[in-house]
Formats: sequence, C-alpha cells, structure tokens
Amino acid sequence: MVLALLGALSLDSPLPPADLILIERSDCYTLDPQRMSYQHELRRARVIYETLVNLRASDCAIVPGVAERWELSEDRRTIVFHLRADAKWSNGDPVTSADFLYAWRRAILPDSAADYSALFFAIEGARAFHEERAAALKEFTAAAARGEPVDARALWARTEESFRSTVAVTAPDDRTLVVRLNRPLAYFLDLCAFPCFAPVHPATVERFVSFDRATGRLVQRHDWTKPGRIVTNGAYVPTVWRYKRDMRLELNPHYWNRAEVRAKSVECRTIENPNTGVLSFQSGGADWLTDLGPEYKTEMLAERKAYLARFRADVDAGLARGALEDDTVGRLPPPGPGERRDVRGFDAFGTDFFSFNCRRALPGGKANPFHDARVRRAFALAVNKQELIDRVTRLGERVASTLVPPGSIPDYPVIEGLGFDPARARAELKAAGYEDRDGDGVVEDARGERFPTVDILYSTASPRFQNLALAMRDMWRRELRVAAECRGKDSKLYKEDLKKGNFMVARGGWYGDYGDPTTWLDLQRMGNGNNDRGYENPEFDRRMDEAEAETDPARRLARLAEVERWLFTEEVPLLPICNYVTVYMYDPSRLGGITGHPRLEQDISVLERRDGVPAMPERGDGLPAMPERGDGLPATPAAPARESLR
Amino acid sequence: MSAQPSTSVAGLVARRLLQLPFIVLAVYTLTFVLAWSVPGNPLENPDGRRPPAEIVEAMKKQYKLDDPVAFYFDYLGKASGVSWALGRHDRPFDLGPSLKQPDWSVNEILATGLPVSMTLGLSAMIIAVALGITAGTIGGLRPGSPVDACTQVLAIAGISLPSFVIGSALLMLFAVKLGLFPVGGWGGVQYILLPAFTLSLPFAAYISRLIRFGMIEEMGADHIRTARAKGLPRWKVAFKHALKNAFLPVLSYLGPATAVALTGSFVVEKVFAVPGIGQNFVDGVLGKDITLVMGVVLVYSTLMVVFNLAVDVMYRFVDPRIA
Repeated sequence: MVLALLGALSLDSPLPPADLILIERSDCYTLDPQRMSYQHELRRARVIYETLVNLRASDCAIVPGVAERWELSEDRRTIVFHLRADAKWSNGDPVTSADFLYAWRRAILPDSAADYSALFFAIEGARAFHEERAAALKEFTAAAARGEPVDARALWARTEESFRSTVAVTAPDDRTLVVRLNRPLAYFLDLCAFPCFAPVHPATVERFVSFDRATGRLVQRHDWTKPGRIVTNGAYVPTVWRYKRDMRLELNPHYWNRAEVRAKSVECRTIENPNTGVLSFQSGGADWLTDLGPEYKTEMLAERKAYLARFRADVDAGLARGALEDDTVGRLPPPGPGERRDVRGFDAFGTDFFSFNCRRALPGGKANPFHDARVRRAFALAVNKQELIDRVTRLGERVASTLVPPGSIPDYPVIEGLGFDPARARAELKAAGYEDRDGDGVVEDARGERFPTVDILYSTASPRFQNLALAMRDMWRRELRVAAECRGKDSKLYKEDLKKGNFMVARGGWYGDYGDPTTWLDLQRMGNGNNDRGYENPEFDRRMDEAEAETDPARRLARLAEVERWLFTEEVPLLPICNYVTVYMYDPSRLGGITGHPRLEQDISVLERRDGVPAMPERGDGLPAMPERGDGLPATPAAPARESLR
Repeated sequence: MSAQPSTSVAGLVARRLLQLPFIVLAVYTLTFVLAWSVPGNPLENPDGRRPPAEIVEAMKKQYKLDDPVAFYFDYLGKASGVSWALGRHDRPFDLGPSLKQPDWSVNEILATGLPVSMTLGLSAMIIAVALGITAGTIGGLRPGSPVDACTQVLAIAGISLPSFVIGSALLMLFAVKLGLFPVGGWGGVQYILLPAFTLSLPFAAYISRLIRFGMIEEMGADHIRTARAKGLPRWKVAFKHALKNAFLPVLSYLGPATAVALTGSFVVEKVFAVPGIGQNFVDGVLGKDITLVMGVVLVYSTLMVVFNLAVDVMYRFVDPRIA
C-alpha cells in the first residue's frame, strides 16, 4: 500500500517553475467571460481574453485591443470598430466580428443569468431583446408545465431572428463591428474593455450548448473552459487547471502583441487559508499574494511604515523625481528587524458603507423613522469615521462621505458629503421631532414616545462588520441619545433580511465595475436590483436622467457630481464610511508592474520578476515601460497614474 | 461488528453488499433533508449584483430547486445510474453540475479531490498505526515508568490539541524556519509528510492508548506467563504473543478511523492548502451547493460501508473466534 501511495504521488509531481507565481484566496468559479462576476476572475479574464479595446492598468486609459481603430458617428451614438488583421485565437483562427456578435448575444440572453447582462442595455434594442426572450421563456415554461407540445429549438430560431432584427450590433464583414447605442454614452469604450464584452470562440463553445426541456432555456455546459479545449484570444492560454489547486497560463503563441507579454508562463495557486498564504509567500512560494487576509495585516503594514520612516528622505526624493514608489522602495537597502517592504495597501475602487432603510414602514407595518431624510442626516452626522478607521478597521483607509472614490474617474470632481458634526446631528434629529423631553437620556417624539430602538444588521462573515456595527451603536447612543442594538446574522440570513427590508441600518459595500459615476449612483435608482435601501425617490431618478442626457462629457460629469453632492448632503440613503483598502503582498525589489491607480486593475501580463535591485529607470517618470498597445493612434487624454501613497 | 455463527466470509460480503444500497439510501435521505433546510439560494452570488427574479426562478426550475421531491428522485436516479439504465440520461453515475462552480461537475470535483484526500488519509493512518503501536508498546511494557508517563502525556496532547494549532506550528517550524518542506500545496512526498503527520496525531494517540491497555492486560495473562516460564526472552513474548492480541481492538478501530481520516481532514486540508474533498464539502454546505453536498455524501457513505466490511473480513482472518 505504501508503494502504491508513493507511486501515485510521484505521478502527481509539480510543474516546472513558472515565470510568475500568484497566490489567490479562491479559485475561479468560471472561465466563461460572459458569466464572470468576481474580481479575481475578471483579472484573469483580462489576460486570457482580449476585448475590442484594452484598459491600460497603469492609468486606466483606453488603448486598442482587438480593434485597431474605431470611429464615432456625428450623433455619437454609432461606433464602428475595425478589427486588426493579426488578431488570432490560440488555435490560429482569426478573431472576427462575428465572434463578438456571438459572445455579446450570449451575454444579453437571459438564459444564463449573467450578472452583467444589464451593462449591454446601453446598446439599442438589447433590453427589448432580453425582455422578449425572458417573456417567451416564461410562456414556454408555463406551456410545458400544462403538457402542451413545445419546441425549444423553434423558439431558439425565433430568438436568433429577433436578435438580428432588434439588437443594433452588426458585422458587415469579418473585420468590422458596428454598434448603435440608445444615446451617446461617454463610457461605452470603458465598458467594451470589461471582460464580459470579450469574444469567445463560437465553434468551441457551441459544441456544449443544449436546450432545457422544461424551460426552453439554452443550457451551456462549461466543459469548453477546460485546458486542452479552451480557445482564447488574449495574452495567455490556460494549460493546466486543477480545481482549487492551481491554474497555469502559458503565452498564447498566436497573440498579436505577444512581444509585450512579460512573464511567458504564470502559475496561479489557490490557497484559501489566509495564514498559509502568507507563510507560503514568505518561504518564497510566490511573487504576489493578491489578497492579504490575516487580521495581523495591520501589524504588517505598521512594519512597512517603520521601514519607510527610516528612508523617508530617499522615498521623498524619489517621488519628487517622479519615480513610482515601488521603484524607489525597491532600490533601498533591505528591511531590518521589525521592518518590511513586502506588503502594501492600496485604496481600492470600492466603498464601505452602512445602508439606511428608506422604506416608509418596516416589515410588520411599524413606522420607520429612517424614512425621514432628517433622521438619516442626523445619524450620518453623528458618526466619527476617522475614529472608526483608527480604532476599528485599522488599515489607514481614507474617510469617505460619498460613494465614488476620489480620483478613480478622470475629470470627475471630488465631492464632500456630510462630515462628523454631533451638534448639527442633534439639531437635525430635533427638527425631525425627536428630543429628550423628560430628561431620561433618551430622545422622544412629540407624543412622548421614545425613538424606536435602532436595529443595526450586520453579517457575521467578518469581525470587521461586527466591530464597525458595535462602534457605531455606541456613537449613536452617545451623540444622539437613542437606544440601539446590533444584530449579527449569518451571511445568508443577513442577505434575506436585507432583501425583505428587515433592518433600520445594515452593513453594505460596493465595488465599481466601470469608469463612470453611474456604476455607483445607479444603485439608488428605483427598481435597481441592488438597491437594498428601498430608496425610491422620483426626484433622484429625474436628476440622474437629466444629467445623463447631457451630451457634452465634461458637463455630464459635472451634473452627475451635482446629483451625488445632493444625494449625500440632503438625501443620505446610505452612510459611507471609507474606501476599501486592498493589501497586496509583494516585494518591490523582486516584482515590477503593480499599479496603484485608484481603479486597481492589475494586468498580469505586464508583471515582471526582478532579480534584486532594479536599475535606475532612464525616464524620469519611472514607469516600467508599459506596453503601448496602440500603434500611432492619438493617445486618449488619460489621467496621470495617481498613486495613493501609504 | 456483526458476527453471526456459521457464515462464511463470502456470505458476510454478500449480505453486506446487499445492505449497502439501503444504508446509502438512508444516508442520502437524511442528508437531503438537512441540506435542503439550509437557508439561502446557491444560484445567488454572496455579494451583490443580483440577476432579475424571474431568471433566478427559471434557473431554479432547471435544476429542480423549486421542487424538493422532484429533485430528490431526479438526483437519485442520475447518481445511481438508474436513469441511465432506463435510457433517460446520457451518463451513468452523474452527480450533477456544481451549482456554485459552473465550470465543474461534481464528478470532476470528486475526481480531482478524492485521490488527494484518500492519499492524505491513508498516509495519515499508516503513520498513526506506526506511531501508536510504538508508543503504546513502550508504555505498556513498563506501566508507571517515566517513559510511560511521557508517552501518555504526548497521547493526551495529540488527542486534545486541535489540528489547526499543531498544523500551523509544524508549518512555522519545518517549512518556514527550517525550509525542509514546501508551505502548502500538493504534488509529491515532500508535500504530504507534514499534513499527514498532523492528521495522524489524534489517531496515533488513541491507538497508543488501546495498545498500552492491551499490553498491560496481556503481559499479566496466563499464556504469557507460561511462555516466559518456558524461557522465551521478554521481547519475543511481548511482540510475538502479547502484541498480537493487543492489536485486535486497534483493528476494529481502524475501519471507522480510516473513514474519519478520509472525511474529517477538512481542517488539515485548509491549513496545508491541500486540494482535497474536505474543503469542497464544507464550502458546499456553507454555500448550499446541494448537488456537491449530495454527491460527496453518496460517495463517502459508500466508501464507509466498504471500509467497515473490509475490516470485518480482516477480523475473521486475524481472530477466527469471531465467526
């Protein structure tokens, strides 16, 4: 038996070392770009598939991808993409406009319940097509349940026809894709760089499509994503994928821009246990740990701070020369005891907040005091966020008073919402009719009834949520003299309560998807599937519609900013706490190419292992020569890579 | 141990194999009730971005998540191969797609994870038996001596210290500080030693207690005294005569223990980042990935019955009195 075991083990030997090794906290749920939803999946998709245009990680500028150029029509609603001739799939097939048409249709179809179908609704006819198919499927299901004869294939043939006639995406020839939008959309190119807009290889995918007999839905088996079968058009092809273990990416030999791909092979290991991930990194098991998990990361960041403090002058001088912090830090002498440089926190494209329940009544018909905007303002003003960050979250996050993280969207102004002002908080609460009338230390309304006990709902998935809820409870008790209780629930039950509106205040959070304020602001629209607050204000929707109807991009952003300012000084449907911080573990003297741009999109194909101290960059900007994917195109006026320094 | 008189080994095996479907069915039914009562919807993402309600309904319908009775029989039919035998399904023993990981079927997840968990579990059992017998014999031959006290303390530590503590300590010492082993992962003997040792400790401790007790009892028994009186050396008596009998309780413990080592290695798999089934199973339960949970339970309950049967068969050869 021992021999058999040893034999089995020796067959299962590790792969040859890759040029770059990453450790991720969880494996990809899927490699189907139209079905992805998680950050680490999308990050991998960006190097496996290539979209029409690419988002350059260092500054989030739009640069050519499969499309070598594009034209915008006079009315700014029609875009014509011209695909490059040398864009190839990993099996050598050319990437054609029909491949995009096929992939986009998959994404718009309701059949696969893609998370991001709605992103495509900017395209003329896409929403109508989606709704028509959904209605047809519903009818089909009902008919099948009644035992009537139904034919899923005939329905599909009608759907295909309807796509051609309804949705304004056409492929006049193999290298041209024409898209017509509902209205001019300043950020549509940014959307086109989102991995859900990536093409798939139709011949490979179509082999695994069938129809569900009961519902008529198109059923996609995902066997096509397995190594050996999967055909990709990006920098890499997955050659090994062992579930919850590792994935190996090898350079796609047919990728047109392969010369710019730094690591020729990448190994992505999955280590779910946060502590083991750190130990593995420390023993040289990886170049980049993408999500530093353990609670002791606060102490690790403090050790970085101590290291930087010792070399403050050198770092400042480097930054003054325009070098990136990583390049400067990477050239410093190695850290001493109690110091480290291999962790770094970045402001993420995400905001941590607590939702107010804005519904008129709570479940069970009880009146909801938070329906009143004055009460919401009072509660927002009574929270000392800096104290929460210093004493609870402890990652040095940036205080947030609005949703859109500052600097993440070029030309979008930084807006201030409500700050910490206990006196004004009490005044707002008094204006809403609540004050301490009988001197018992608790506020009452005009009829002498006490302010109902504030029900603070949080998910027990992380101690961070509980600690924040407890700290805020104490602040509200102290500053507003209300009774407040925390209610921790398992994440699934928490979510059910959230959906039913069974809370007064509840933990929330959001990461932006694309480079426009609407990825944040749309959350407050009536009927939005993620509007947990039940905030329904026609006035908000009207202001949003007006702002979005503005055709001049700069004026449009200014008007959206105005809406956000109004939302977070007057309406306050939610209470932003801070922008999330993502902590990476990597040694800047050994790994180059990580970007600190506020959208925090890392491009794996530009990461590069360094042997020891990097040479002094020739250029003053210290950029490690990002691949310029354009070829003579006027560069998009991009925001400079604004790094957050910490 | 079922031990009815006058049945052959073949009869025992036949009877147990006939019982197997009923045992597995009972486990399946019980697990199904429990798994179904877990709140939540496996088709929903844990964080945000919810698909429209009617689409979630349609997906539920496709996976029969809207109808527990239909799901129960449909899944059972496909998993057992009955649907295939009747020509209603294209594959036998189809444990379904994982509801959480759309790219992987439960069969694929088991195919990648099960050999890993089995290798880890069996290696741990081999280490446990070796360690346990050694420690138990040393202690049992000299009860009350300092050596015995030491092995007893170690045994209690092995039983009571949780494996995530031992595992983390071993990782820190041998992998990080000394660099003798890789930290986490899978793919060779060097990857298996630390997790297998960690997993083996509670079993080794229990086995050593069984052996120690058996040895003390045996060494005072009449036939041992006789053997000693015949002039056989002490070590020969201890190993040839006493240990053989002292080992019997260990054998009956090994069946269920091996099953536990195979299934219960979740914590060790987490600490050492071993890509086994344990992690998947727990994630499946937490995420209400009902097809994954049912598939793993079906496979494991079958294995459990087979292991117990194997031990019973071995028992008959070792101790013919049990017939």
